[in-house]
Amino acid sequence: MTNAPAAKAATEIAAWMNALGVDVHALAARMSLLWADRPRPLSITPGDIGKLEGLAREFLETHGFVVGAGVIFATEAIRSSEGGLEWWIKREHTVEKLEFDLTPGGERFYDYQNMPFFASASRTGEQTAWGPYVDYLGFDEYILTHSAPIQLDGKFAGVAGCDIRIRKLEEIFMPVLRAIPGDAALLNGSGRVVVGNSGAYLVGERIRTIPGDKELIPIDVPHLGFSLLTGR
Amino acid sequence: MPRLQLVLSFHAWSLFLAPTTAFQAHVYRSLPETERSEAIVNRISKAISLGLLKVGERLPSETALSEMFGVAPSTLREALSDLRDQGIVATRRGRSGGTFIVKQPFTSADVMKKWFRETSIAEIRDVGDEHAAIAAATVRLACERAEPHEVGRLLELARGLVMSDKPEARARADSRFHIELAVLAQSPRLTNAEIRLQAEIVQALWAPLPVARDPERVAAEHLALARAIADDSAEDAQRLVLEHIRHDVHHLVDTKLSLGYPADEQEQP
Repeated sequence: MTNAPAAKAATEIAAWMNALGVDVHALAARMSLLWADRPRPLSITPGDIGKLEGLAREFLETHGFVVGAGVIFATEAIRSSEGGLEWWIKREHTVEKLEFDLTPGGERFYDYQNMPFFASASRTGEQTAWGPYVDYLGFDEYILTHSAPIQLDGKFAGVAGCDIRIRKLEEIFMPVLRAIPGDAALLNGSGRVVVGNSGAYLVGERIRTIPGDKELIPIDVPHLGFSLLTGR
Repeated sequence: MPRLQLVLSFHAWSLFLAPTTAFQAHVYRSLPETERSEAIVNRISKAISLGLLKVGERLPSETALSEMFGVAPSTLREALSDLRDQGIVATRRGRSGGTFIVKQPFTSADVMKKWFRETSIAEIRDVGDEHAAIAAATVRLACERAEPHEVGRLLELARGLVMSDKPEARARADSRFHIELAVLAQSPRLTNAEIRLQAEIVQALWAPLPVARDPERVAAEHLALARAIADDSAEDAQRLVLEHIRHDVHHLVDTKLSLGYPADEQEQP
């Protein structure tokens, strides 16, 4: 029988993630309005970038725990060869645009089309979460990225997404995890620890086999694949 | 932003050793403004090649910089203008304006020769030792923590080396592969350590100097290492990366000696 505090924790984590998912989907929907009444593929104008920045800033302001937000366009959805990635991050007191090297073979090329938070959403057409990961050449920190597809008449046009520092997720989930007796950990879809409630399961480690006295409780959030590892 | 503080707080070290003799006091006398400007240029260039500051990043305001460096605004402006002339930073006006890093500083063959002349074999070995310690732990963690599709990217980066034809491109592909190992280990600190070590040695490894490093062989070593990680063979991966770094050290020592050991500088007993 599942232990009651763990079931409660799983429900609370799911509610938190689902609420964030709703907001990320709403961001994607508002970004998709750029294409309304415009020829496709879209030629992105400075005005469009301004609108995207406004949306990203608003998202960052209304979600204190989020550190980055933005959009990645599918190459088919836009005309320009550049500007496939527009992302804004919080600095100490300001929000600034993150500059990426998007030239293949470039000195600091950021291969965003192959980053799982884009590639997976592109393949499945569903929301996705990727992390913990060291975002080398991007934000250069240890983060998790949650993204949702931008759909135009049912066709994939890119993703809208947000970044959360792993240290922030630890603060957010630790209280609910600490309420579970014994060692427990929130795992991502690949079985990697996101937050553990003790030293037994450390963030970043992959859990390949479930110990005999443990079980996995799914976190009820569509398509993200998170689960809670906890004592039976 | 902690990365910047690391680079910019350069008064701290002077606190730990007070000069004891008049000669030493002379050594530690305050710097003339021109040397300060040069020191700022060096500090920022070095920080970029170490990955502490990255291309696209905006520097703090001029007022904040001159305060942090403890120099007059005119000295700071001189340093920035020098960096602009070298094409390392650019200044943009307007709402999202400021001084931005636009390019990694380029190292010429002459500078590399100077590096080989001034770096002893003992120091080369010691960098190799540090790299071996970092890399051994890194590849073990990468074996434990990497996911199959991430290893795919590592294999691709391993092949990148043979696709490159210029020394700079090879150096980039080489360091990118090693940094990816630390990314796969899920460790920001090991990633930073690897970036720092790569910044120290990778240009020397691929410098266009008489002893050429065979990119095919290096790529083969990278591929073997990537396969060991794909197979979760921590022991093999560690052995391969240690051999690989030993080859690097041999190559650096050979290159140094091929440039001639300055016999005329030998001191008489």
